[in-house]
Amino acid sequence: MPRILLIEDNEMNRDMLSRRLQRKGFEVEMAVDGRIGVEMARAGRYDLILMDMSLPEVDGWEATRQLRAAPETATVPIIALTAHAMAGDRDKALEAGCNDYDTKPIELDRLLGKMAALLPAAAQ
Amino acid sequence: MKRATPKGRARARKPRRPAAASRQEALLRLSTGIAEAESETDVCRAVVVGLYGEALGYDFVAVLLVDQASGDRVLVASEGWKQAPSGLRIRPGQGLSERPLLDGRIHYTPRVTEETRYLPTRNEGSEVDVPILANRELVGVLVVESNRPDAFDDGDLKILAAAANQAGIAIGRARLLRAERARADEQEALRATMADLAGRLDLSTVLTAVLERAVRLLGVSHGELAIYDAAAEELEIVASHNIGRKATTGTRMKLGEGAMGHVARTHEPLLIPSYHAWSGRSPQYAAVDFHAVMVAPLLIGGHLVGAIAFMDRDPARQFGADDLRLLNLFAPQAAIAIENARLFTAAQQQRQYFQELVANNPVAIATLDLAENVVSCNPAFESMYGYTQAEVVGRKLDDLITTEATRQEAMAYTQQALSHQRVKMISQRRRKDGTLVDIEGLGVSVVVDGTPVGAMALYHDITELLKARREAEEASRAKSQFLASVSHELRTPLNAIIGYSELLEEEVEELGVPQLGGDLERIEASGRLLLSLINDILDLSKIEAGKMEIFVEDFPVAPLVKDVTAMVGPLVEKRANRLVVEGAAEAGDLRADRTKLTQMLLNLLSNASKFTENGTITLGVRKNGADRVEFVVRDTGIGMTEEQMGKLFQSFSQAEVSTASRYGGTGLGLAITKKFSELMGGGVTVESVPGAGSTFILTLPVRGS
Repeated sequence: MPRILLIEDNEMNRDMLSRRLQRKGFEVEMAVDGRIGVEMARAGRYDLILMDMSLPEVDGWEATRQLRAAPETATVPIIALTAHAMAGDRDKALEAGCNDYDTKPIELDRLLGKMAALLPAAAQ
Repeated sequence: MKRATPKGRARARKPRRPAAASRQEALLRLSTGIAEAESETDVCRAVVVGLYGEALGYDFVAVLLVDQASGDRVLVASEGWKQAPSGLRIRPGQGLSERPLLDGRIHYTPRVTEETRYLPTRNEGSEVDVPILANRELVGVLVVESNRPDAFDDGDLKILAAAANQAGIAIGRARLLRAERARADEQEALRATMADLAGRLDLSTVLTAVLERAVRLLGVSHGELAIYDAAAEELEIVASHNIGRKATTGTRMKLGEGAMGHVARTHEPLLIPSYHAWSGRSPQYAAVDFHAVMVAPLLIGGHLVGAIAFMDRDPARQFGADDLRLLNLFAPQAAIAIENARLFTAAQQQRQYFQELVANNPVAIATLDLAENVVSCNPAFESMYGYTQAEVVGRKLDDLITTEATRQEAMAYTQQALSHQRVKMISQRRRKDGTLVDIEGLGVSVVVDGTPVGAMALYHDITELLKARREAEEASRAKSQFLASVSHELRTPLNAIIGYSELLEEEVEELGVPQLGGDLERIEASGRLLLSLINDILDLSKIEAGKMEIFVEDFPVAPLVKDVTAMVGPLVEKRANRLVVEGAAEAGDLRADRTKLTQMLLNLLSNASKFTENGTITLGVRKNGADRVEFVVRDTGIGMTEEQMGKLFQSFSQAEVSTASRYGGTGLGLAITKKFSELMGGGVTVESVPGAGSTFILTLPVRGS
């Protein structure tokens, strides 16, 4: 069962996405801001991280850079979730070290497709 | 008694027969007297006084001269017993003294009473009448009388012939001298007149002066001057001298009418001996009582300027060759003086017109010479920049009203204007007090007769205009900003609504209560519609706020078209339409904003799907030249009228309200598509026939930036 870390400050988004992913067979753990998210990512072993970009404490871009800098999380797949359908945000996310991005509101099928492309075959 | 006195005195004083020697001496003295006389009258007096005073025994001596005009003999000088006032006239055909004028000989009448021509006078004795010849012309008669019959002998006749001969020579000389002097005076008067006229440029002054001078020069009592109005083909009397109670000024005459109209047509002077008897007289002059009239056209190189007329109330005044000669000298000069004044007046009026135009113009105007120095400026310039004309004239305009930032630009504009280029600018200039003024400016070169003489700068104060525009733009930006933030705030809860309804749909399936599924689907669909509406509003407000950015990348067209058709598939099938794709495989690569192109194609295809049922929707891709690509979306739907097409791309305007409620949608899709395409350097056009479908063509550059 793939282990997913969902870093999202909005309670409803977090609840909704986590429940839908669990229904699809993922093991989901959650962090409410960037700082906690980085701590959890380095402490636990996750197959993929879903990272909201506008986070309190440490924002998504900074958190991604920190994760990429740390050896234990340097290669873990990260998908950025951005609120604005802006190509600029996507570029910034990819620059910071994200593997892919998706825009909110979440189209679950689309997101699942992107996740499938990044998850190691063993985890699926 | 009174009559007898001179008679008696004469008799008493004179011996009957003076000696021949004393006669010779008397003649010598007479010659001396005549030689000393200068004028005609003095000559006559010298003859008379000499012959009478020399005690030659004559009772009456007189000289009569012929008046050329009337033919009358006029008494100029006399001595003797008869009362004979100077100026006495004897008509032709009367008196003994006419005879020498008829045949040029001396006539001796021993007994006057026996002569048929004899006029009964107090002389009942004898008389000698001697012709006087001056310059080979009979000019008068020397009359010598004695109250005795047979009083003259051969010696007397010789003396009198000699005296008349000398008198004739002296009169001829005096007349030549007078003519010479008169001509010299005339020349001087003419010269003074011309000098005077040439110096005057005010038209009415010149007209009056021309006429007054001419009247004085010719010595006539009346005169009139008319100028020619070429447009009306009429002469208008503009000055009159001494013409009765009723001034004739303002009278207009057609070409050919009256004496002036006649010469205006013939271009030749005209002498009329008696105006009343002249068949060509004008009814406008029926009441006047002139006799002789002289009229001349005023011409410059054959071109008619006006006409001048002279008249005299004296019936004896006739115009002759001398008058005509003077007029011929005067008329061309007068014509030139009038034409000069007329041209000057016209030029002055035009100048004044333009001066008024500049002075009252709300646009600030400054004129510059070729060295860029200010020549003049108008009141609007003074009030706009706070400089007086005196402060700017002679200085460089660009030194006065520019700032550090605009000086170079302004100097370049000035150079352009001076080199015949028309310059238009919107910029800022500096007032005298240092404050700035927003201006719209125009620079044009000023060319006179093909020669550049400088430039003209025109400024319009657009401070208020710009302020209003900035305010309007600010308001528009604030509105867009507000819409953007409202849309964003709306999206968050909406995402939750859509997300949870999807979640619930999945859960009710698992929980086995499918009867709730339909309601949840409706909640989700409404939420998605609301979301797309909000997204469109957000896009539009970003575009209007100028915050919509374009991200270009290189990508192949075919996969994008494939994605788009997949996304729009359910919508196409909903109304039983068929989607056909043409040319995508051959389209190659494109450099553009991929996301926005996807959105535009989705908008066009969903629009086509909405308004088509059981039809075909075609998406074609084709090149338009080397550097443009066209995406053609054609449907077989309801089509549009011209009017509907006109409003098509405006925000929130589906062709009709009824259409919107029937077919759904925000009506923003096409407006966004058009704006996106324009941002990307392309455009959207539409062709449609009501009932026969519509074709939208989206054009983009192949290599956008």
